[in-house]
Amino acid sequence: MTAVERIEAEMPDRPARARPTPRRILPWLLSVVIGVLCVVPFLLVIAISFGRKIEGAAWQWDFTLANYQRFFVGALWPDEVTFLYLQQLGFSFWYAVIASLLAVLTALPFTLLLTRLSRRAQAAWLVFILSSLSLSEVFIVMGWDILLSNNSGLPALIKSTGLTQWLKDVGWFQTLRDWGLASPRNVKFKTSQFATILTMSYLVWPYAVILLYPALSRLDRSQSEAARTMGAGGWTVARTVILPAIRLPLFGSTLLLFVFLLGTYVAVTVFAAPAQHTTAVAIYSNIRGANLNAPFGATQAVILLLAAGLCLTLGHRLNRWAEAR
Amino acid sequence: MSGLVLKGISKSFGGTRAVDRVNLTFAEGQLTALLGPSGCGKTTLLRMIAGLEAPSSGSLLLGGRDITGLPAHKRKFGMVFQSFALFPHLTVRDNVAYSLHISGASRTEAAETAKRLLDLVQLSAFGDRRIGALSGGQRQRVAIARALAQEPEVFLLDEPMSALDAKLREEMQVELRLLQQRLGITTVVVTHDQREAMTMADSIVVMSNGRVEQVGSPQDIYHHPDNAFVADFIGKANFFDGVTEPGGIRVGPMHLSAKPNFVRGSPVRVAIRPERACLDDEPGENRLSAKVTFVRDLGPVREYHLDTPLGAMVVENAPGEVRKSLVIGDRTEVRLPPEALHLFPDPQAAVAAE
Ligand SMILES: Nc1ncnc2c1ncn2[C@@H]1O[C@H](COP(=O)(O)OP(=O)(O)OP(=O)(O)O)[C@@H](O)[C@H]1O
Ligand SMILES: [Mg+2]
Repeated sequence: MTAVERIEAEMPDRPARARPTPRRILPWLLSVVIGVLCVVPFLLVIAISFGRKIEGAAWQWDFTLANYQRFFVGALWPDEVTFLYLQQLGFSFWYAVIASLLAVLTALPFTLLLTRLSRRAQAAWLVFILSSLSLSEVFIVMGWDILLSNNSGLPALIKSTGLTQWLKDVGWFQTLRDWGLASPRNVKFKTSQFATILTMSYLVWPYAVILLYPALSRLDRSQSEAARTMGAGGWTVARTVILPAIRLPLFGSTLLLFVFLLGTYVAVTVFAAPAQHTTAVAIYSNIRGANLNAPFGATQAVILLLAAGLCLTLGHRLNRWAEAR
Repeated sequence: MSGLVLKGISKSFGGTRAVDRVNLTFAEGQLTALLGPSGCGKTTLLRMIAGLEAPSSGSLLLGGRDITGLPAHKRKFGMVFQSFALFPHLTVRDNVAYSLHISGASRTEAAETAKRLLDLVQLSAFGDRRIGALSGGQRQRVAIARALAQEPEVFLLDEPMSALDAKLREEMQVELRLLQQRLGITTVVVTHDQREAMTMADSIVVMSNGRVEQVGSPQDIYHHPDNAFVADFIGKANFFDGVTEPGGIRVGPMHLSAKPNFVRGSPVRVAIRPERACLDDEPGENRLSAKVTFVRDLGPVREYHLDTPLGAMVVENAPGEVRKSLVIGDRTEVRLPPEALHLFPDPQAAVAAE
């Protein structure tokens, strides 16, 4: 019997449950409203994912696993197998992993330098970065679209400055072609995974800075200095003192941005080749776009969500395991 | 000349001059205490020695070699930080072995060194602990062991005792001193506690406002302070302002016999240690009538606050004191032996010292 249990046992005449008063009802009501607002759309998506599409742009309630089967092995299974949708999920993960890593790893040195500036300069930078969050995805992608477009953007600049010719002369142009970053005449970024990932990491870069900033500004400078007096150069200090101290926030930020990027839509439609589109794009085309197959769109959404949840859980486990070690 | 030599070291932060043209020699194998009030530039000086801060001007020499431009990680002076700056993600043992791990020493060598040093600081049983699971005194000893693991030529400690309670602090002072003597490392300890400096140091450097006021052995500094600031900062002293006249000093209405070696009529500051004033009945010069205004009985010592024609003064452990047990309101006589009076020429410095 724990102490608390004993105390409760020794209090036989606890007051009877008070009558519901407005003060008690209000929180209840609020939780119900919030619950309904959050859970109902979610349940709806799950329910629809078991629905059936009717030819002629509509669907009806049902309980069929056909949509799930289609996602994993294709509609014509077992006669014919396709992994198209799994592949799209794969691209979702691939872009999101690389872009979130890129964003966090480039934001890390920047944020580290930021924390060494004067208070005033730090505040100015943070305000600037925060305000850049107000730019919509569409707007940012438009900017990059212009910057990377083949006729007016960077490729044109590269050609006019003679860089293209130089690349051809030293033989690196062929490498770029192998990577899909050049046409026979000039470098090209549209469409490419490079441009997709670059834009995606640009999208979340301000978040990366803001997520890392608190942890980095709390870093104990004297620990780095102690390491230096013991013979550690810049890299050794970063590797043995700073990285271990910020391992958790680094990992957490990457995970968060990764999950966030799983849902990227505009950047992928603009910069990725159609054969390399993601689940998020497919969901849109099923629910609002050309395909009009809401139940299958819902299925893809549910699977994407489950996959994201799985990643978060795995990340959490991994962390706990690393903590314990 | 071996040892560590500072030549004309200065450091400015924007407009403030934290360290001002410091010339010092830290003899090899000796323990030097940097002593001074808060903000006088002790930490800044120590950080320049460690290479963590570049001097604005001046140079540092170690064993005759100029090391002014050498970065901290090449100097490898062991340093114990005020906050200890231990690595929370490593165990006690790995903290101690850190310098060996990063220098590519073999695992067995690192383990042996860590074990030897943990034995030295009496923490052998704590090797596997995390830093978070240690007390303040244990952390301090880990920090000392960690800084010694690389066998530094110079060992620097920035107020290493400030996180400890009074009793532990005194124990650790003795322990650290014994350790330093056993290892014979050139050591610089920053402190603003004069007892700590007197306990540990071969030589004390008294600083104020970025400048060195006096360098000397603890006894030297206590008994022969160079100026009023040092007299005031090291130990206790009673001060009176006066003017020199033949055979002594005029302080207010009184003539005090003394041996002033200043031009007649110079303003001087007179200082006397509380234990050098006499409450005995010996005949002699400079007898003042006094009234006891306060008695502080601390057990082994008894401190009398007196009101004299010169002003208020404190007498403690004075010759003749034990034979009298004075209470508040008693009248007595206090004698200021001429040889116990310190005379300082510059009243401006005396004012600044307060
Ligand atoms: N990085 C810095 N930027 C600007 N001023 C500084 C800096 N570091 C120290 N100072 C100033 O230099 C002077 C000396 O500081 P320092 O830390 O050396 O004093 P200290 O003697 O160690 O004092 P304490 O006993 O309080 O630790 C102070 O006036 C301090 O404000
Ligand atoms: Mg200091």
